[in-house]
Amino acid sequence: MSENGKLSYEEAAARVEAILKRLDSGEASLSETLHLVREGKELIERCASELEAVSGALEELRLDDLVARLEGEAK
Amino acid sequence: MPNRPRSVSAPAVGIPGNPLPGPYPVGDYAAALQRRLRDFAKVQLIGELVNLRIARARAYFELRDSGGAVPCSAWLSDWEQMSARAGELADGMQVVVAGGCDYYQGSSSSSPSFSFSVTDLRIAGEGDLLARIERLRKALAAEGLLERQKELALPCLPKTIGVVCSESGKARDDVIAGLARRRWSGRIVWAFAPVQDRYAAPAIAAALQDLAASQAVDLAIVARGGGSLADLLCFCDETLCRTVAMLRIPVLASVGHHTDRTLLDDVAAVSCSTPTHAAEVAVPIHCGEARSQLAAAAQRLRADSKKALLSRARSLTLLCKAPSEHVRRQRSLLHQQLREARAAGRRRIALERSLNLRRLTAIASKADGALHHNRHKRPAELRRLALALEAHDPQRTLRRGYALVQTGDGKPVTDAEQARRAREVVLRFADSSVEAKVRTDR
Repeated sequence: MSENGKLSYEEAAARVEAILKRLDSGEASLSETLHLVREGKELIERCASELEAVSGALEELRLDDLVARLEGEAK
Repeated sequence: MPNRPRSVSAPAVGIPGNPLPGPYPVGDYAAALQRRLRDFAKVQLIGELVNLRIARARAYFELRDSGGAVPCSAWLSDWEQMSARAGELADGMQVVVAGGCDYYQGSSSSSPSFSFSVTDLRIAGEGDLLARIERLRKALAAEGLLERQKELALPCLPKTIGVVCSESGKARDDVIAGLARRRWSGRIVWAFAPVQDRYAAPAIAAALQDLAASQAVDLAIVARGGGSLADLLCFCDETLCRTVAMLRIPVLASVGHHTDRTLLDDVAAVSCSTPTHAAEVAVPIHCGEARSQLAAAAQRLRADSKKALLSRARSLTLLCKAPSEHVRRQRSLLHQQLREARAAGRRRIALERSLNLRRLTAIASKADGALHHNRHKRPAELRRLALALEAHDPQRTLRRGYALVQTGDGKPVTDAEQARRAREVVLRFADSSVEAKVRTDR
């Protein structure tokens, strides 16, 4: 997960596809299968979380508001 | 002078002896002069722009050529629109102006002035403008500034998008429509700025810098609804282009159409044909479809893992059953072999018993025969043999008077020489034996 943590959404989604392809081939050993499934679940959860972040209501801010908010957070 | 100045109620006295009419109040004359000058034909003039100065309400300059000069002025709002279309105007530029004569008649406290009132303007020869842009493009390219933005990775799923556009323009709605088409509902940070006057370039550059300064913003869109090249000249501003080239976040330019390519289009990470297109490039995936694909992937992952585990479990079950099955088969085989061995043993025993019985019967038969033989034939034979033996018994000969000569150890002495060598012999008679010495002196 530490390596996958650096992946972008697109890379994570591509990695999930590669995992599914490997599992579909039936060539993975049991331990590899368990490892791949665990990795795939983690990646899917991460992708879902990123999608969730852009799936609510559209938030519109003016630049000044953003700057003020960030300054407020900094304090 | 078509409109004669009105007469004053108390006519002043003119210059004695001077034939010219008057005197008229100067204000009347100035107003008449203004009317007269404004009636002059509206025309276009070409010349060099010099001594440009911007006042509170108007812009002033002179238009000159080798034959003369005309003072020019324009209302500030008109001037800003003209300079936005034409680009940055400066002294020494060759320009064409359109307008007509005007005269400010002044007042008791302000000076009058004449000027050519400019209502439109363009830089003389758009080819010069394009050549200047092309020179700047080559300079930026030589410095590698056209590539820097293209080396930045475009996020596949940005969470915050900065948009620089006019607050009132259609581009704003187009960006929202493009993002909605992607089912994207993240955060938009609007950085409103003028997009076509002479303040546009520095305002846009400042907005982009502010957006990039916020770590929350993933990328920025500069959007405008298009226009003529003159309208888009602010996007060819050198400072703006250099600023964009050095930003840490990718900038998507959507300020014109492909026929009107600005320098910002070249410097930006991606040049988009419309604000809607820019929004779709900013969010390359359809979020709704991505959610469905993710759900399908999760389903497949669950199914694959279940399938893999079940198939292994089945294999393990089969492997577990295999030894007991093998033992069961071997046990069955052994039982079979045991049954067969027992049966064979029984058959063998029966056979051997039968054979032995037969042998026994034969032996018994033979024994009976032998017994019969012994019982009936052997006594007579024995008697015959006894008689024959008795006939050879030396005792019988001794009883007839013969004696048997033997050595001391019982060996028979059958000739004289043996007797001489023995010296002492035993004479055995029928009843008993006597010892005798052999004399050899005769």
